[in-house]
Amino acid sequence: MLIELRDVTKTYKRDTIEVPVLDGVTMMVEEGQFLALMGPSGSGKSTLLNLLAGIDQPTRGSIKIAGSEIAGLSERQLAGWRARNVGFIFQLYNLIPVLTAFENVELPLLLTDLTKKQRREHVMTALEIVGLTDRSGHYPRQLSGGQEQRVAIARAIVTDPTLLLADEPTGDLDAKSGQDILTLLQRLNAEFKKTIIMVTHDPHAAERATRVLHLEKGTFVAA
Amino acid sequence: MKFLSLILKSARRSKRRTALTALSVAVAVFLFSSLRAVLDGFNAGAAGSSSTRIITIRSTSLIFAMPSSHTNVIRGVDGVQDLSWANWFGGIYKDPQNFFAQFAVDAESYLRMYPEVLLSPDEKQAFLDDRTGAIVGDGLARTYGFKVGDRIVLQVGIPIYGSQDFTFTVRGIYKAGGTAVDNQSMLFHWKYADERAIEKGQIGWFVLQINDPERAAAIAADIDQKFTNTPYETKTNTEQQFMASFASMFGNLNLLLGSIAFAVVVTTLFVAANTMAMSVRERTTEIAVMRTLGFPSQVIFFFIAGEGLLISVLGGLIGAGLAMLIVNGERLGVTGGFVPAFGVSTTNALIGVGISAGIGVVAGLVPATLAARLKIVDALRRVA
Repeated sequence: MLIELRDVTKTYKRDTIEVPVLDGVTMMVEEGQFLALMGPSGSGKSTLLNLLAGIDQPTRGSIKIAGSEIAGLSERQLAGWRARNVGFIFQLYNLIPVLTAFENVELPLLLTDLTKKQRREHVMTALEIVGLTDRSGHYPRQLSGGQEQRVAIARAIVTDPTLLLADEPTGDLDAKSGQDILTLLQRLNAEFKKTIIMVTHDPHAAERATRVLHLEKGTFVAA
Repeated sequence: MKFLSLILKSARRSKRRTALTALSVAVAVFLFSSLRAVLDGFNAGAAGSSSTRIITIRSTSLIFAMPSSHTNVIRGVDGVQDLSWANWFGGIYKDPQNFFAQFAVDAESYLRMYPEVLLSPDEKQAFLDDRTGAIVGDGLARTYGFKVGDRIVLQVGIPIYGSQDFTFTVRGIYKAGGTAVDNQSMLFHWKYADERAIEKGQIGWFVLQINDPERAAAIAADIDQKFTNTPYETKTNTEQQFMASFASMFGNLNLLLGSIAFAVVVTTLFVAANTMAMSVRERTTEIAVMRTLGFPSQVIFFFIAGEGLLISVLGGLIGAGLAMLIVNGERLGVTGGFVPAFGVSTTNALIGVGISAGIGVVAGLVPATLAARLKIVDALRRVA
């Protein structure tokens, strides 16, 4: 089992009021799965994704990914863990505007011990997978939304992470570009055996996944 | 090293803002270096002064003259080997803005007592032989294009010299052989000025050569004692003290210039800090993304602080470079001979660059800390 979530609870504090977002969630994900997390706004799906990414910590419960318990790790330990294990795809791409596509993809590799030449090879491989080698010198403003998201995917996979997490990856794209991105994610899952967890509102997007889970009011419900 | 290009790219994000911030630091460092140069000029004059020369002025102030009859009395004081005198002339060359120092001196004794005034033997002799002759420093000559043989007409600036213009012939161009002498002044014969003076035989200050520097205080006391309770009491000091008191005529320069420099630096610090804070605020999402990718807080801190440091040091280098270029360019002749050895030293320029680095570090400290402590989820939620 790649991911083991047991009895995970997350509560946010707004002023003096405690707002429960996840309520004792338990979830198992096998390696190589393409899981879609669905649910209405405020159901806790993005919070769950953040917990899996190690950018937030649960109030209670256990999160074990690839054998490592990440709940309770220090901020510094989590940063290192994220760099090694997680590739994150944002809804709004979140590329660094002053960096070219190549440099954006290279960014996570700056934290590794790879040489410049090795970094270049990795980046070009990632860009080749997403079909954007010819756009490597372009800045984000010179790319379409779909191309930006593909660069963001290349950035997410360049370190060959254990887990790919995507938060509404097609939410800001037109239908055609959205389909292309979903096809790319499917390919990463099928061809490169990447474990992918994708948050989405879109049932058509969820259909591309190998497994779908529904969250409502912080707990999993049957579809 | 691999993060340096990232910092450079980030600094170029808003070229105008980066340029303006660097420019504000450059102005601060330029002012700092220039003001320090003025202070250094005064201090260098005092530091480079001779220990065997002492100066006698009126006890009331340097601006009041003494009768030339003091000469014989002073010569008679035990320990005084040689003596010369000079007056401040204060003439106007074409326009009051063309300010430079002119001294009416007893030429022969003055050149004897100031070997730092470097002249060729021919020029020296030509000067001594010509009652209306003058010598000018090479810096002054460069400023106004004076050459040997040129005529210089000075309007009278101080009414005690009458109202008729003085015409001089440049007989030599001297170099300053020490910091006690500057190269921005004009020297001419005291007799020529005295001829036209409404009250004859007035001397601004005496320069005395003494045989034993250890006895300087005793000799000074002896001289002043001679004139006690006369209408022209004197105050005798070492050349170093004289230079220092000359500087003090302008007030407490250290405090004044130091305060200006401090105010400029602090203001620039606030400008730079505000700019860095704005820059970080605009990049909240980017920082959150970098943290998500696994960049540790420490790297984010140095990334932001490094950017502030880079911009600030760039400004510092520009400011110090401009200060050296402009202030050290003698063509400006900005001091008019008031301050010997006026110029921005390498040390001053380096201190200026150091201050700019300090501004960069302090200005970047708070934004860098905030960026490093940023909660990723909160920052991402702000734009989601």
